[in-house]
Amino acid sequence: MATFIAIVLAAVLTNNFITVKTYGICPFLGVSKKTSSAVGMGIAVTLVMVIATLVTYPIYTYVMVPLGIEFLEIIFFIFIIASLVQMLEKIIQKISPSLYGAMGIYLPLITTNCAVLGVTELVIGDMSSILGEGVAMNIGWAALYALFAGLGFTLVMIIMSGMREKLNYYKTPKALAGFPIAMVTACFICMAFTVFSYISL
Amino acid sequence: MTVKGFFKSNVFKCLVTLLCVLLVSGIFLTVMNGLLAVSDQERLDRAINKIYGKPVSYTELAVADYNSNATIEAAYKIKDDGNYLVKSTGKGGFDNGTITCWVVVEISGTSISGVGKVVIDSNKGQTQMAELKDSFLNQFSQGYYDGIYYATSDGFFVSNSTKSSNAVCNAVNGALDFVNAQPGITGGTEDVYAEFDYIDNIETKQTSHIVDEENNCVIFTVVSKGYNNPTNFTSEITVNAQGVITAFKIIVNGSTNDSYEDKVVQNAKIFVGKNLEGIKAILNVGESYPVYPGDNSNKFPVSGATESSYTVYTAALFAAANYDKILTVGEPELPDGGETEEGGNENE
Amino acid sequence: MNKYKKITLDGLIYQNPTFMLVLGTCPTLGLISSAFSAMGMGLTVVVILTLSNILISALRKVIPNAVRIPCYIVIIATLVTFARMFLEKFVPDLYDSLGGFLALIVVNCIILGRAEAFANKHTVPEAAVDGIMQGLGFTVALTLMGIICEFFGKGSLFGLQIMDFKIGMLAKPAGAFLVYGLCIAVFTFVIDNIERAKRVKANKLARENLLKEVA
Repeated sequence: MATFIAIVLAAVLTNNFITVKTYGICPFLGVSKKTSSAVGMGIAVTLVMVIATLVTYPIYTYVMVPLGIEFLEIIFFIFIIASLVQMLEKIIQKISPSLYGAMGIYLPLITTNCAVLGVTELVIGDMSSILGEGVAMNIGWAALYALFAGLGFTLVMIIMSGMREKLNYYKTPKALAGFPIAMVTACFICMAFTVFSYISL
Repeated sequence: MTVKGFFKSNVFKCLVTLLCVLLVSGIFLTVMNGLLAVSDQERLDRAINKIYGKPVSYTELAVADYNSNATIEAAYKIKDDGNYLVKSTGKGGFDNGTITCWVVVEISGTSISGVGKVVIDSNKGQTQMAELKDSFLNQFSQGYYDGIYYATSDGFFVSNSTKSSNAVCNAVNGALDFVNAQPGITGGTEDVYAEFDYIDNIETKQTSHIVDEENNCVIFTVVSKGYNNPTNFTSEITVNAQGVITAFKIIVNGSTNDSYEDKVVQNAKIFVGKNLEGIKAILNVGESYPVYPGDNSNKFPVSGATESSYTVYTAALFAAANYDKILTVGEPELPDGGETEEGGNENE
Repeated sequence: MNKYKKITLDGLIYQNPTFMLVLGTCPTLGLISSAFSAMGMGLTVVVILTLSNILISALRKVIPNAVRIPCYIVIIATLVTFARMFLEKFVPDLYDSLGGFLALIVVNCIILGRAEAFANKHTVPEAAVDGIMQGLGFTVALTLMGIICEFFGKGSLFGLQIMDFKIGMLAKPAGAFLVYGLCIAVFTFVIDNIERAKRVKANKLARENLLKEVA
C-alpha cells in the first residue's frame, strides 16, 4: 500500500512529467489551446503509455536481458510504440467510430511524443527512489507508474488549456503571442507544482 | 497474386528494404557494443576516480565495523599513495536516519595523518541536507586532531541541521576507526581508558577528559554506546575531588525523537550531586554492570526514554567510578594537572 | 555557393529549430539549467543530425516511399544508440548529466523533421550542410539559454562558481520555461525589426529608382 501511494504521488505530483521531468512538451504546447482537445490528447497519451509499458517491460526483462541485447532497447521500444499506435488507431476506428472521432487525430502525433518513450525507459531503469527500499520493480508497478504519470500529464494539460482559454480574452504583445506567452504560462504552473516537492514519504 | 508477382511487387521491395536496414543497424550496433561496452569494473573505477579526484589503482578491502555508530559499506586501499577510501554510513541523523559518506583517510608512514576529503553519497530521511555545505565538509580535512570529531564543537556542528551533522561526524569517525584497525596501521588514538572500570558501554577511544586545576575537578567527555534504539550519547561530566558529579551536560543526544530527548535531559539531572554509591543506588548494579531497568524497583524518576537514560547512566557511572584514576585524591590544595594526567595514563 | 549560404542562414536564424520552429523542446527545457549539459546535448544532436541527414539523403532513392518513416526511425535510433555507447565510454560526465534525454533524441522532432522536410529531397552535401547548420542553430540556442539559466540560477558558468547570488527558480523547469519563452520573444522581435528595416530600405531604394526613371 505504501508503495502504491508513493508511486501515485510521485507520478502525478512530485515527479510530474511536464512540470518536473519536462517530458512530452510538444503536445503540451501544441495541443493545449482548447480544453476539449487537451483532454483528448491527455487520455490518448495515457492509454498509449500504459499499453506501451505493458508490452515493452516484459519484452525487455524476459527477452532482451536474457539474450544480452539490452543495447538495442531504443530501436525495439520506438518500433513497438510506433506499431502499437498504428494498431490502436485501427482498432479504435473499428470498434468505436465516435471515440475515434474524438481521439483519433491525436494518435499519430503520439509516436514522437517523448513522454511515451520516456516512461518505457524510466521503468526499466533505477526506480528505487520512488518504490522505496526493498521493493522490486515488476510489471504491475511499471504499469501503475505509467498510468499515473499519464494522468499527471493530463492534469497539467487541462490546467494549461484552461489558462490559455482565458488568455484569449487579453491582447498580447506581438512578440509574445503564441509560444512565448504559452511558456510563461507554463512557468507559473511549474512554480505552483513546486509546492508538491515538499511531499516526502 | 502469383509468387512471381509478389517478388516483383512493391510490398516485397518495402519488406526487403526495411529488413535490410534493420539487419545492418543490428549488426552495426552489435559490433559497436562489443567495442564500446562499459564493464562493471570500469564503472567502479570511474566512481572511485571521481570521488578520489584523480585516476588511481586500488585494492578492495574486507569490511567490518569497529564503531557502533557507523556501518562500513565498502573500503579501498589506494595503491598510489597508501591512503584509504572508505564508504561509511553514520547513524544518529534526523528522525533516526543515516548519512552515507565517502571518506578519504590519508596515511603518512604507518599512522593516519588526516582526513583528505568527505563526500556525501546518500542519506535516509534527512531533510536539511542543503545546510551541510562544502565549508562544513572541508573542516574535516582542515581540523584533524586525534582522529575523533564531535558534532558539537570546533565547527562540526551545523545549526538547523544538528542531527545530520552528527551523522556525518559519526560516519567519518567510523571510517577512521576502521582504518585504525587495519593491519599495518599503528598509532591512532591510544586507548587511555582500557583499564578503567565500567567501560563495557563506553566508546573508550572517543572519550576524553581534561583536568580543571583551578577547581580541582576532572571534566570527562564520555561517549556512551546507545543502548538498543538510541545512538551514542556524548556527555560532559564534571567530577570533583570527592568523587561527586557536579555538572552533567548532554552534548550529543542520541535519542530517536524530541520527546525522548527531553526526558533524558530530565533524568540526567539526578546524577548531579551524587557520588559512585549514589549513582549505583539509582539502578540495580549486578555483578559488575548496571541492570537494564525492568521492574518497579529499578527505574528512572522520569518514565519513558529508558534506553536513552540507561545510555547516559552508564556514562555517569563511568565518570563517578574513575575520577580517582585521574585526580590525585586527598590533596585538594595543590593539584598538579600535568602529573595527574600522566597518572591517569599509567593506568592503561 | 548561394545555395549553401541560404541553408546556413536558415539553420542558424530564419528556421532556427529552437527559436523559430520551436522543435525539440523537451531536452531544451530539461537541460538548460546547466550550460555544460545544454551544450553537450546540442553537440550530440549536431553529430546525430548530420549523420542521419547524410544517410537518409544517400538512401533516398533506395527506400520505398511507403516504408520511409520506419526506415528513418531505425536509422535515427541506431545513431542514438551508438551515440549513447560512445558517450558512456569516452565522456561519462556528459553521459550522466544528459540522463534520460539521451535516449529521447530518437523522438526529437528536429531530426525526424529534417529527414522528412529536407534530407529526402536534397543531395548528400546539401543535406550534410543542413544537418550541421540546423544542429549548430540548436546548439547555440541551447548554450545561450544554458548560460543565462545557470548564471542566474546557480551563480556559475559551465560549473565554475562565479557569484553567490542566485535565483534558484531559474535552474528549475519553471525558470527554463520562462527563459525559453522570453528568448523566443526577444529573438522574434529582433528578427522582425531587422526584416522591417530591410523592407523599408528596399522600398525606399525602389522609390528612388522610380523617381530617377521618371525624371
